[in-house]
Amino acid sequence: MQTVTIKPKSELTISVEAENISPDKFAGKSEKDIQSLEVWLGNHKTTLGDLFTIKVEGIGTAADVKIVMEGNFSRVKRIGEGMTAGLIMIKGDVDMHLGAKMSGGKITVAGNADSWAGREMKGGDIIIEGNAAYYLGSGYRGESCGMRGGKITVLGNTLDFAGEHMCGGEIYVNGNAGILAGISNNGGKIVIGGNTSRPGSEMSKGTIIIKGKVDEMMPVFKLEGTEAVDGVTYNKYTGDVIGNGKGLLYVLV
Amino acid sequence: MELLIKNGSVYDPVNGIKGDRTDISIRDGKIVDKVSSSASVIDAGGRVVMAGGVDAHSHIAGAKVNMGRIMRPEDTRLGIKPRTKITRPCTGYTVPNVYAMGYRYAQMGYTTVFEAAQAIMKARHTHEELEEIPIIDKGALTLFGSNWPTMDFVREKNMDKLAAYVAWGLLASRGFGIKCVNPGGGEMWGFGKNVTGLDDVVPNFEVTPREIIVSLMKVNETLKLPHSVHLHCNNLGKPGNYRTTLASMELADQVRARKDRQVLHVTHVTFNCWGGTNWGDFESKADEIANYLNNCDNVTTDMGQLIFGSATTMTADGPVQYANAKLLHAKWANGDVELEDASGVVPIFYAKQVSIHAIMWAMGLELALLTKDPYKVLLTTDHPNGGPFVNYPEVIALLMSNKKRQEEIKTLHALVNDRTKIPGITRELDFNDIAVMTRVGTAKVLGLLDTKGHLGAGSDADLSIYDIIPDQIDPSIEHAKIKSAFSSAAYTIKGGEIVVKDGEITATPAGRTYWVDATVPEEQTEIMMKDIRHKFKNYYSMNLANYAVQDEYVTHPEVIKAGAIPVEVS
Amino acid sequence: MTTEITDALCPFCGCNCDDITVVVDNNRITGVKHACRVGTAKIMGHHRIETPMMRADKKSEFKKVSYDEAIEGAARMLAMSKRPLLYGWASALCEVHKKGILLAEEMGAIIDNTATVCHGPSTLAVHEKGLPSSTLGQIKNRADVVVFWGSNPVHAHPRHMGRYSVFTKGFFQEKGRRGRKVIVVDVRKTETASMADEFVQVQQGSDYLVISAMRAILSGHADVVPDSAGGVQKEQLVKLVDTLKGAKFCGIFFGMGLTQSISRYKNIDNAISLTTELNSFTKCVIMPMRGHYNVAGFGQVCSWETGFATAVDFARGAPYYNPGETAANDLLMRKETDAAMIIAGDAGAHFPADSVRHLAKIPVVQIDPYWNATTEVSNIVIPVAVCGIEVEGTAYRMDGVSLRYRKMIEPTLSTDVEVLERITERVKELRGV
Repeated sequence: MQTVTIKPKSELTISVEAENISPDKFAGKSEKDIQSLEVWLGNHKTTLGDLFTIKVEGIGTAADVKIVMEGNFSRVKRIGEGMTAGLIMIKGDVDMHLGAKMSGGKITVAGNADSWAGREMKGGDIIIEGNAAYYLGSGYRGESCGMRGGKITVLGNTLDFAGEHMCGGEIYVNGNAGILAGISNNGGKIVIGGNTSRPGSEMSKGTIIIKGKVDEMMPVFKLEGTEAVDGVTYNKYTGDVIGNGKGLLYVLV
Repeated sequence: MELLIKNGSVYDPVNGIKGDRTDISIRDGKIVDKVSSSASVIDAGGRVVMAGGVDAHSHIAGAKVNMGRIMRPEDTRLGIKPRTKITRPCTGYTVPNVYAMGYRYAQMGYTTVFEAAQAIMKARHTHEELEEIPIIDKGALTLFGSNWPTMDFVREKNMDKLAAYVAWGLLASRGFGIKCVNPGGGEMWGFGKNVTGLDDVVPNFEVTPREIIVSLMKVNETLKLPHSVHLHCNNLGKPGNYRTTLASMELADQVRARKDRQVLHVTHVTFNCWGGTNWGDFESKADEIANYLNNCDNVTTDMGQLIFGSATTMTADGPVQYANAKLLHAKWANGDVELEDASGVVPIFYAKQVSIHAIMWAMGLELALLTKDPYKVLLTTDHPNGGPFVNYPEVIALLMSNKKRQEEIKTLHALVNDRTKIPGITRELDFNDIAVMTRVGTAKVLGLLDTKGHLGAGSDADLSIYDIIPDQIDPSIEHAKIKSAFSSAAYTIKGGEIVVKDGEITATPAGRTYWVDATVPEEQTEIMMKDIRHKFKNYYSMNLANYAVQDEYVTHPEVIKAGAIPVEVS
Repeated sequence: MTTEITDALCPFCGCNCDDITVVVDNNRITGVKHACRVGTAKIMGHHRIETPMMRADKKSEFKKVSYDEAIEGAARMLAMSKRPLLYGWASALCEVHKKGILLAEEMGAIIDNTATVCHGPSTLAVHEKGLPSSTLGQIKNRADVVVFWGSNPVHAHPRHMGRYSVFTKGFFQEKGRRGRKVIVVDVRKTETASMADEFVQVQQGSDYLVISAMRAILSGHADVVPDSAGGVQKEQLVKLVDTLKGAKFCGIFFGMGLTQSISRYKNIDNAISLTTELNSFTKCVIMPMRGHYNVAGFGQVCSWETGFATAVDFARGAPYYNPGETAANDLLMRKETDAAMIIAGDAGAHFPADSVRHLAKIPVVQIDPYWNATTEVSNIVIPVAVCGIEVEGTAYRMDGVSLRYRKMIEPTLSTDVEVLERITERVKELRGV
């Protein structure tokens, strides 16, 4: 087991790009090695050790690495990018692109996550106890696939375009979601505990379950009657009909 | 400044040098017979030396290339390289930014590249980009195949007016030659329709693709343009189109060349040697095209080789792009240009296990390997339609190694065995053949053999040295080494200056832009301009005075004179 | 001596009219012919800043300084910055954009243009769906159905309908206005709607629903469309779709009513899909009604130089692009920007209040011919010659056609290019590159 504890040295206004904060990058490295890993503060190249206090106990492979982040990381982007294994526990807020392209391991956030959490995620687990901003589990601009695998759980709310272009994996949002959740869903599963609006536009495959209220339904779904999922009765829709979509949209009766 | 390249294994087919140890002397940007003892020396150490690569068909600049970038940030984010002390940042794979275009060609040992299509009305844009592509010399072919003046003059059978229009259009676009894309189809796409063969009549203009092609070939020779008509055939992208391609090639017999080159260049044959009647019985007819080429001497072609992976298709063939977008459920950009032509951009991913793609992969190779004379088939990928130009070394390796081809075939959809001839073709090209397909052949097809594509005295001092010692390698077996060496030139020398060393950019001089200034009798232009003025007054959305590309957009011009004065009676 | 410059180009809106005649007397423009009212006003000139100015803090009065002092001050301000923003560019020529991108590279800045508050969303939609479009002459010669969606050319693009889309005659449209059906879709009855053949009134923020309903009808799924979508009766939508399908050539022009309402770029994304799908029945093209005369040019230049159309972050030496993260307001709202250069665009007037408040707190240099709201939040103001009037060069029309602007009169001030070149040189020295 290798435990790495990270604390901010001071409050940041300019975002730090810190894709090096990842079990894969830390595995087998000493405290000094980790401190000297490169990060960017705006146009200024610096090191992890320069911006953060870093303590390391033990040594191990990526799967054995546990990164504990204590404090406010709301200006630290790309944490856990591309990680394949291990654990990151963030006891505060985080900035954009948390766990982007990750394929394994687990990230937990006690606070809120900014936009693009789980962008193009392939596997692993992200649990956000607070809120997630825009584009949760979505794709990059112009790309036809967003999240492809893994699981994202948000205990709070999320904003617009959750699961945009999803091709696989699961997103659970306990609270509300902004507009156009699951837009262009191509095979993922999205469950929204609260309310949302205009869900499922252009979906071709996959499933969206909405347990709260839908403010505005897209006029592109065919009502197929009601169906019980886990003992709860939903209106079942198929669509988006424009592209002869085979997506399933369940909305609480 | 003098430079001596010593001890290279030189491949210079036009001067009869086939791998012999020869020294190359350079003075003031030109190749000379000898230099003084004070010349700087590069010891090639027996490595392969060739003239700088010349590409006759690549989409490197202009409206549709930039549309490819705008619609594909997911492509731009590939191949990102930060700036260095001498280079600007690079981005993109299928649609690189202007800097990456120049650097990556130079890194492969290429020094001259021609953009394959510009509409006159958007030529200013093409030149804005060409101006910013570093290092390489370049030029652009101008679209004439669906222009209203072209069709009017063809219908009137007035070749004088057509010649005057082509000459004026080349001047207005600072263009290098006549490009003709799906002739007639560009106009019909204006109302969402297309021509289906050489003898369809274009509504309102009452001309056929056949008449357009033949007329453009005639005036091309009247004007004695360096290059021939450069044709993207009708019916491209449709199974069975090889018949249209063959019929188009036969049209060359109606015209006699006025220069030592072909009458017609049929481009990116991978996309128009298709047999079958639908996607189910789709098959390669590249052998039929090769057979035709083996029995004719007035047509040349290029491969348009398919490369597996991501590509961005872009062409003035608007209708084929709409069909592609619909078939692939892909994003689609359309860019019709009033009175001139159409265009479209659609991303694609070529997959080894898709039968159509596997068969298409074979087509370019079959064409190159079944055509006996390498001067008749140039190496291209129709960048970025078949795939990005950075894959030329992959194509070279495939052409030089049957072993590599057989290894590749094993990974492809099984129909490649039944629907193409490629599994049974054992021919392996040698360095000399490659030098023809990528240098001297290209220069000859373009009509630039005086100064490009070879290493004789008087030629531009553009050359490349590759990390291959010919007598110490068997390309058939060591194809990976071949690919790697051609990907990253040991040296690229452009105009006598070392621009690449060990695959890294060392200098970024500005290249020149070739265009053709063809003269016709003034009164002929005056008569033609009456029609043009009428079209601007009534139909164009801009004024004639603002139409032509100004000198400010071609700051390093290389003007090739051509023309019909004195007018020759045919 | 009075001279007339013919075939001059108007540096106002994205119509880029190129048939203007300008009367010049003693290096002064005394008359403008053929231009619209707003174009004429722009060419005749107003509110010029006469000399470089600086002030120590935003509450002090400006002091007149030399170009040398202003450029030195600007370079020092920018060279020190860790998260600089270079914003504007819409009213400048492409030659200026190239210099701006080079400066952004040199100092690891974010460069963004005014599209971020108008048609930036259209670019995001193009990433998703492409852009089936054409030059304006295709509309002029062929279109028998013309749709203005969330755009009001009578007001914003006064000569658009006359030159390109409605009243003009063309090869296949010999009758001009009488041969065309004009449809306006908007949330309120605009001046353009008043002269249209049909007006479709959409409930505020519901364009997305309306477009989806139309696509459902077009694809043969009218059965799932409710009696009304987005405030429009299904019956009217069915009729509208029939009209579009029945066209010989249909041109759709959209404006900020579509890009800046709820669902933003997804509205355009949806409209592009509608356009694409209409091509199974007819020929249909779609085009953004670009505002400033060269806002499109910045997108072109930025794309060929960096690969990305706008909002490019050079912080790490290579271009990175992600609007929502790298656009001007994304950074300003988060208070990350620590110095800004605003050039040929008025952030002070058009940005959200929070962004302007942050601009008021950080060092700002303005490069502009005109006094405007941005001047009020600037520390250093560098006046320049007016592009397209006093400086020649390239601009791109809304349909992507590039045009060369003529010089009408000689400039009396430095040009943008000169100022940017000098700042760049100095920034390089200061940053020790």
